[in-house]
Amino acid sequence: MESHAIPGARFVDPKVLARIKDLELLARTVVDGFINGLHRAPYFGASIDFAEHRGYVPGDDIRRVDWRLYARTDKYYVKEYEADTNSNLAVLLDISKSMSFASQGISKLEYGSYLGACLAYLSHRQRDRVGIVTFDEEIVTYVPPSAKHFNVLLHTLDQARAVRPGRLPAVVGRIAEHFKRRSIVALISDLYENPDDLIDALTPYRVMGNDLVVFHVLDPAEIDFPYNDASRFQDLESGEEVPVIPEVFAAQYRKMMQEHIHALMTKFSEVRVDYVLLNTSKPLDEALFSYLGNRERLMRVR
Amino acid sequence: MSFLAPLFFVGLAAIVVPILVHLIQRERKEVIEFPSLMFLRKIPYQSVERRRIHNWLLLMLRAAAMALLIAAFARPFLTRNPLQAASKTDGAREVVILFDRSASMGYGDHFERAKEAARKIIQGVGRDDQATLLLFGTGTEEAVRATSDRGRLETAIKEVTVSSEATRYAPALRWAQSHLTRSALPRKEVVLISDYQRTGWERQEEIHMPEGTVVTPVSVASPDNSGLSVSSIAMQRASFSGEERVTVTAGLTNRGAKPFTNVAVILEVEGRAVESKPVTVAPNSSASVTFAQVTAAQPNMRATVRAGSDAMPKDNVFHFVISPSRPVSVLLIQPDAANAALSLFLTTALSISTAPPFKVDVVPVARVTPASFERRSVVILNDVTAISSQTDASLKRFVEQGGGLFIVLADHSPWSGGETPLLPGTLGAPVERLVNGTSGTLGFLDYSHPVFDDFKDPRNGTFTDIRFYQYRSLNPAATDRVLARFDDGAAALVERRVGNGRVIAFTATLDPSWTNFPTRPMFPVIVPELLKYLGHYEEPSAWYTVGRMLDISVPLGAIVREGTAGDTKDTTRKASAVVVSPSGKQDKMGEGGSPSIELAEQGFYSIRMQGTGERRPYEVAVNLDPAESDLSPLSPTDFLGSATGRAAVTPTGQSLERPEMTAADMEKKQSFWWFLLVAGALMLLAEAVLANRLSRGFGAGLLQAEKT
Repeated sequence: MESHAIPGARFVDPKVLARIKDLELLARTVVDGFINGLHRAPYFGASIDFAEHRGYVPGDDIRRVDWRLYARTDKYYVKEYEADTNSNLAVLLDISKSMSFASQGISKLEYGSYLGACLAYLSHRQRDRVGIVTFDEEIVTYVPPSAKHFNVLLHTLDQARAVRPGRLPAVVGRIAEHFKRRSIVALISDLYENPDDLIDALTPYRVMGNDLVVFHVLDPAEIDFPYNDASRFQDLESGEEVPVIPEVFAAQYRKMMQEHIHALMTKFSEVRVDYVLLNTSKPLDEALFSYLGNRERLMRVR
Repeated sequence: MSFLAPLFFVGLAAIVVPILVHLIQRERKEVIEFPSLMFLRKIPYQSVERRRIHNWLLLMLRAAAMALLIAAFARPFLTRNPLQAASKTDGAREVVILFDRSASMGYGDHFERAKEAARKIIQGVGRDDQATLLLFGTGTEEAVRATSDRGRLETAIKEVTVSSEATRYAPALRWAQSHLTRSALPRKEVVLISDYQRTGWERQEEIHMPEGTVVTPVSVASPDNSGLSVSSIAMQRASFSGEERVTVTAGLTNRGAKPFTNVAVILEVEGRAVESKPVTVAPNSSASVTFAQVTAAQPNMRATVRAGSDAMPKDNVFHFVISPSRPVSVLLIQPDAANAALSLFLTTALSISTAPPFKVDVVPVARVTPASFERRSVVILNDVTAISSQTDASLKRFVEQGGGLFIVLADHSPWSGGETPLLPGTLGAPVERLVNGTSGTLGFLDYSHPVFDDFKDPRNGTFTDIRFYQYRSLNPAATDRVLARFDDGAAALVERRVGNGRVIAFTATLDPSWTNFPTRPMFPVIVPELLKYLGHYEEPSAWYTVGRMLDISVPLGAIVREGTAGDTKDTTRKASAVVVSPSGKQDKMGEGGSPSIELAEQGFYSIRMQGTGERRPYEVAVNLDPAESDLSPLSPTDFLGSATGRAAVTPTGQSLERPEMTAADMEKKQSFWWFLLVAGALMLLAEAVLANRLSRGFGAGLLQAEKT
């Protein structure tokens, strides 16, 4: 992921964040700092854009009557906006065992939690409803989106522990059933799955008109493979061991990893799903900024 | 090939280390947890297998290096020098035949078998060989030296007889060693023909034969070596109506496994059987026989105890001499007008002495004649005023011929200014020591002198309570020996040697007028000691053991003092004697002969003083060394092994090659370890280079292989 040089922007090192135990404080620290460095927030006012007028029917809230139009036309019209004022944010956090991997002090799960907290805080500030689903091989916690669920969400993130292996495509497909309303769905995972399976699993979300953002969280060690000594590597989830001679394997591994990332990026963009690759060694707000910056650009195009 | 430190081979287990390293290094190190093996699993693993196969060379190098290092630490060496071994099979031989002729060889047919074995060896002597026949018992005798003449050697063997000597291997082996060391012949051999008696070898002796010497043991010992021997004699003396009677007790030992039942033990005196007693001796035990009393009527009576007969008859006989105990004859000369107390303490002290008893004759000085000194051992001059010149001359002769003179110096002593050579020193005036109530004491005693020797230990009597109120000053000559001094340094007791005799002067009285010495407990102890020393008294020995040297002064001195030596008519005659050995050989002793003789034969030696006519000869009984009766043999192999410092001897005679070299010496000389260490180090170096190259080149090669 490229970092953008933002004048005045101050990014917070994830390791520093890790010391802030209070997730709300953490999210505020990140988001406020991030917003201060922003010239224009892409979400500001976006949800209260005017769409059309319609004729007043009894039962409509008279506060919504457009009195100016009444003055001109002598008819009652009610203002309608393009979207509902408040939308849903659903955070889908993968808490499978592989997420606990940490080569540099902060694990992918922690990083994902911070990210989830920051997104939720951002949405909460806009009076959006926030909810969360944590899952590994099955759904662990389900908090339906609600304006009152920000603290529950933070608590859920706080309690999340990566202990079991994951089965992302199956579980993600099942979660889709819970979404009745259109939502912004943020999937946070390390995505050790076949890209095609992932696309299949996420199709229901798109069909239902959800706005899907995939955050691919990876540890730098997973990307760079900095190992030197011949060792046995153990799969965190399955416990399987494989003898590895890094000097022989590393180049191949990096190549395969890049291919995997590239495949994900390509396939997600094909189905108009936002894909963001996050490196746990990079500051969280930088990642957030980079994502939101991209999204704004895309929205303008849209 | 042997090893100096074979325990290091335990370290061979360390070879497992490289193998383990090879096994473990690639497969089992710490396990790294990784989020997903999704990609790693897809990479083929054969490359690791291939790598392990390639490391076999490295593994062999490491194991070989380890093995070499361990072998170096084990310090290997070759026990046999091939060059030397080859050189021993040809060339002329220097053969030394050590032939045991000790008394024990007289057992059964041992001696004949030994002769037969010697003949066989002599027959094997080649024309270029040199053979030496050395007979040995206690000492050695060269029968034939370095000859290739087999006839001479065989004749010598034929003439050998069993001696009475004890067995001593060391002198014979040492002789062989020095003889072989000087020999220039290439092959050196020693043949030891013996019954290998255990008693003939002292462990601490070690003989190093020259390099390459072959030592062949020939044992004639028989498994059954039972035998009865008379091992000792005890005599108990008793006086009965003026005669001395002796009770003889004989000790018998049976060293065999068979009992001896009702063996007749006979006591013979002067060739006549006096008494016979039957005795039963159990296997491996001892018994004793006590005979009836025998009257010791005259000196030097020959006596013998015989106990049956067995395979070794020599030790069934025990010879000894019965003599009436001889009191030391003392002539005490005192002033004419002496009071009774003057010699009272002295005579009392001598009269209570029993070992030896003293026969004291007290004579006033005026009545002393030259004949008075006849048959005296010691003469005492107790503060004598004057002696006639004739008496003085006889006294001088008496002393020169071995008599003892004890001079007590007090008020009346006449000599001054070295008038007589008999007085040890120059006499001075009496010295008063009782000043202000304090008196003199003895300040110095020569404890190295035989008289005071027994009192070295502080517990054995004290001289500190002896007080002197007055003494006669005496300045000893440089050659005189001061035995005691007063606390002011003046001489108290001085000895001078005159001829064969001894003179001791005491510078105070032997009555309580000048000193309290006569009333002290030490007085009756010291005075007999002093006279024993002056009279050359020695406890007469009833028998001697074969091999002892007999000092002629003992029998001669006895004859001199008992007989004609005091004869003044022939002053020029020198004391000499003829010794007749048990085998009838005559030897001259004393003046014009040897000063002592070796008692080499079992039996009685008669010593006859020349010119004494029909006077009874002095008899000396000689018996076998009791150890000769103990026939228990050594293992010839072990014996030669320990004697020559090498255990590598077989009964058939194996080379005692390089016997002076221990394993450590050989290892040090050969120093194989050094080469092994260098080879091991080189191997390690090669391993390092190879391992480096392998790990670098192999990885690169693999990557290439993967790409293709």
